[in-house]
Amino acid sequence: MSTREPMWYCYECHSEMRPLMVPDPHCASCNGTFVEKMENPADDPRNFQAQAADPTGDEDPFGPRDFLFGLSTLLNAGGMPSQNRTGPSAGTGQSFPERGQTLGGRATNTTTRGTSSGFSIRIDRTGTGPARTIITGGAPTSDSNGGNGQARIPLLSEFVQRAPPRGGLGDEREMITGPLMFQYLINMLSQGRNGPGSEFPFPGMMPPGSENGRWGDYVFNQDALDQIISQLMENSSSHPVPATEEIINNLPKDTLSPGSPLLQKDCAVCKDQFQLNTDDPAEQVVVTLPCKHPFHEPCITPWLKSSGTCPVCRYELVPQPHHGGANNTPGGSSSSNNRPNGPSSPSGSNSPPQGGHGQSSILATCSILWVATTITVIRIRITIRVIANESRAQAVRRHRPDVTSLEVGTWTWISLTFCDTTIEMKRILCTIHHLYFFFQHQV
Amino acid sequence: MAVSTRRLQKELTEITTAGTPCGITLLKADDFQTWFLTLEVLGESLYQGEVFALMFRFDSQYPISSPAVQFVNDETYQPPIHPHVYSNGHICASILGSEWSPVLSVIAVCITLQSMLASCKDKTRPPDNDRYVAHAPDNPKKTRFVYHDDEV
Repeated sequence: MSTREPMWYCYECHSEMRPLMVPDPHCASCNGTFVEKMENPADDPRNFQAQAADPTGDEDPFGPRDFLFGLSTLLNAGGMPSQNRTGPSAGTGQSFPERGQTLGGRATNTTTRGTSSGFSIRIDRTGTGPARTIITGGAPTSDSNGGNGQARIPLLSEFVQRAPPRGGLGDEREMITGPLMFQYLINMLSQGRNGPGSEFPFPGMMPPGSENGRWGDYVFNQDALDQIISQLMENSSSHPVPATEEIINNLPKDTLSPGSPLLQKDCAVCKDQFQLNTDDPAEQVVVTLPCKHPFHEPCITPWLKSSGTCPVCRYELVPQPHHGGANNTPGGSSSSNNRPNGPSSPSGSNSPPQGGHGQSSILATCSILWVATTITVIRIRITIRVIANESRAQAVRRHRPDVTSLEVGTWTWISLTFCDTTIEMKRILCTIHHLYFFFQHQV
Repeated sequence: MAVSTRRLQKELTEITTAGTPCGITLLKADDFQTWFLTLEVLGESLYQGEVFALMFRFDSQYPISSPAVQFVNDETYQPPIHPHVYSNGHICASILGSEWSPVLSVIAVCITLQSMLASCKDKTRPPDNDRYVAHAPDNPKKTRFVYHDDEV
């Protein structure tokens, strides 16, 4: 064994190098952080790259059984999106040619089936000889030991938990060693849909529901990830805060009477003039908001239950989430001082202010560059660009000490690494989301 | 009678008696669910000579709930190329979402959109157009837009 310090491998630029330790290892050629020391010749990360091009190859550096198990799990689960799917007869019955390969293996017997989409994958291992059979198509096999399979879209955590048992085989690795296995899966699946030659190896087997590159918590391509991030951000963007029953009930109500000055006015919601003689007596009850704007009681109440603001001047009966600066003040001649409660913006991540670009409150923009995962480590790289001033940049540095090269107006990298094997994609995205809002607003 | 019907009846009466502002015409308002109006920017603008159509869809809660408003995208009308207008006709304008107020009306929305077009200096699609259009729901109200700026 040589005493030489081993080389490192960069998954991003595929170079072999000695990393810059700053203090975490960074690729010396691309400055990437997804690098691995090549310590174990039996588990060489470079092999994975070669393997990735040929899923039926003979090498077994990243555990094809794991890969196949994962794939079959995906296909199996995705093929049965509904709990109520009945029986295998719903399948297409289409037969695919047998794909067989023989590889050394340990005794494992994994059978999965996709009862509704007409395929099954059977992985047979025997302790004595190299045997692995993968059968696609045809009727579900009867020797399923997997029960009824999963009738819904799996979470990443389930994916992990369903890895085949490795009892007593002296193999303590709980990790699928091809760190990009999952990414490979993703690429392969997305190629199957979008690639020029439809290289998906099991044509016709893409389960329903995966059309947009999304499949439950899984994303298969950048677009789909973008979409999830967008949704997360959009879902958290400001919704009007309704007024409470108490506030509504305590508003001054007048019943119209002859000579009332209100009779000269209109209700701005229904655009009708206040009148004494109405079919509905409720329309003779006028609610006047603190900003002095009057409304029919049946007109304003439903509005206040959706948004605690004056429809005319946006006076806030309850503090509303804000975005940007200038347009927060109630319109017209009102001044911003008539907000009832001191702080102009609710704080805390429960009601983050509205996101968006080009607003004065933006601290930074961020975008997801890539997601790479092994089964035990998920690393997400996002870029952050601080587009404001130095003090904001400092805030980012305080929050993320690992961000070393942050300059105002420039892009920088942040890599998030999650080491929890039970983590779900959603949680990861929520973390990113939280970070995003931190960068936007927490200064 | 639904609240929306009464209010829309009133708006329709006003349109037919008092007329519409310059550059805005009522194309079709046969019921109180869906209206069509045409919109053009008069005077000097990047949209000179272009006529667009807007589709308004109302639910029974209008005007408490905002109308679903989008540019028509068919053989006759195409949505304007504008940083806040997606190629499927959806519009990213805060007054159609979180900034909606029941004080606003069909004509008020038209005028706002007209001025949005009139003030446009850069005739481009939104940067995320392709991504949005690929996943957009049919009804733009189902989208929660992240408003790009406050100049709308």
